[in-house]
Amino acid sequence: MMLFNRLVTLVFCLFVALPILWLLYAAFLPAEAILSASLATWGFSLANFAALKDTGIWRALLVSLLASGLTVLGQLVFGLMAAYAIRAGLRVLGIVLLALALPSELLMVPLYRELQVLGLYDTLAALFVPFLASPLIIFLLLQSLRRLPWEMVEAARLDGAREVTIVWRILAPLLRPELVAAGILGFAAHWNLVLYPKIMTDDQKLYTVQVFLTELLRSRPLDWGILGAAALITTLPLLVLYVIFEKRIITIFETSFK
Amino acid sequence: MRIKPSWWLATPVLLILAAFTFFPLFSVLRYASWDWSGLSEPTVIGLRNFQRMLSDRELWRSLRTTFFFALLILPSFLWLSRTIAIAIEGLRSERFVKALLFLPGLITVGGSAVAWYLLYNPDYGLIPELTTLSLPWGSEPWAGLLYIVLFTLWQSTGYGVLVVSAALKGIPGEIKEAARVDGATETQIRRFVINPLLRPTLLFLTVIGTVLAIQSYTAVFLLTRGAPFGSTRVVGYYLYETAFERFQVGYGAALTIFIMLLTLAVAVIQARFLGSHQLRHSS
Repeated sequence: MMLFNRLVTLVFCLFVALPILWLLYAAFLPAEAILSASLATWGFSLANFAALKDTGIWRALLVSLLASGLTVLGQLVFGLMAAYAIRAGLRVLGIVLLALALPSELLMVPLYRELQVLGLYDTLAALFVPFLASPLIIFLLLQSLRRLPWEMVEAARLDGAREVTIVWRILAPLLRPELVAAGILGFAAHWNLVLYPKIMTDDQKLYTVQVFLTELLRSRPLDWGILGAAALITTLPLLVLYVIFEKRIITIFETSFK
Repeated sequence: MRIKPSWWLATPVLLILAAFTFFPLFSVLRYASWDWSGLSEPTVIGLRNFQRMLSDRELWRSLRTTFFFALLILPSFLWLSRTIAIAIEGLRSERFVKALLFLPGLITVGGSAVAWYLLYNPDYGLIPELTTLSLPWGSEPWAGLLYIVLFTLWQSTGYGVLVVSAALKGIPGEIKEAARVDGATETQIRRFVINPLLRPTLLFLTVIGTVLAIQSYTAVFLLTRGAPFGSTRVVGYYLYETAFERFQVGYGAALTIFIMLLTLAVAVIQARFLGSHQLRHSS
């Protein structure tokens, strides 16, 4: 039985690894592969990256980095403040958990109208303002706060420390690993939004990497080399972050669900 | 001494959630009574959008597709999560396997879609070219659905494994020790000790998985766009298509309400049914 379980695990790992490895390789497909219309042509070429120059990918990367970066910054700052308030006894956890069950994917129609009315439709603000509070990040940070000895905070309060001092001078440094992990999860979630930015913006200048990729896949479905290179470039930021902080990310997830 | 927590610390979060999560939740009720293309001025048409839903054949078909999709994905998701979490428990490769399986959920979805497209495309993908295996998801309805199922499993099984694995680690070693001392075999321990203790976790994953199966459609958008012949048009994708590709945003609002109520109903029924099932087993 155990042997069977391990076999299943092995097969599934291969199944998961294959597209990832392929993603790494396809970016370097040589032009012969495209000419001969055969992906099974081995070789190595950097030409695909050069060909990407005029497609607008760098602009899309910049937009995504800006939007996802601002999102995460807000999510961590506001999230830590809220998690602290909840830990200290403010009863709003129910509201946060309810919001967790309402993904933006489902609320796209009313959000579309709301952003139009607010004049945010088709602006950079539309890409990050609605995401500045993340219920998941609040939940993860709250779980981390619950593991800290609370007497420390009470003592600081008795000594007359202000709330701002407690949050930023005491808790934030202590929770640095958790903040980094939660930040990466938030960054990835926002970076990976596809339909939201597609609907809420129209201007090509505001294309995020995901919108850019889907448009590329639609307009040039046969340019495998370019597709592969674009896919790799847009994945690289997350891949690097994940490789560096993988242990923290897995840990914060696991400890929160114990 | 009891110190009151500060309201203002939670204010930014509460304001943003109020504006962009809860306000839309209520305003969608109003938009559902509109005939609105998204750009023109809306006209109020009362309950006609809901009337239209009753006779909307495509809606019912998309519900059937969603049902099949959930039926295919949920058991395999739960089974894989549990099997893999148990198989790697305590192994030296545990960390590596978890890191690998969690990775697809994080890497750029658009990039994943491109990789899958280049790998499995029946006409010139790498797998169909190197082997005789081919999934004709462009032309065969069953293959289209299977393709979405495989992609979704590829993306989200890592999350399930992490959750089950966390639960496994939460089971105190003494319980297993005690069973062993009493002469239980490993199979018996798994069956009578570990499995019952995992049930709440699996229930949690079932409810989460169902909610996602009903509401998510990014994979459909990226891979098949509802094709071939509408066989992968799950209800979430139908909502997207109606509102933003056929420009019937008012009707889309009505569909949003319908999907929300449907999710709520299914989740409540599942929690009730599976929850009571679990009580009966543990008593």
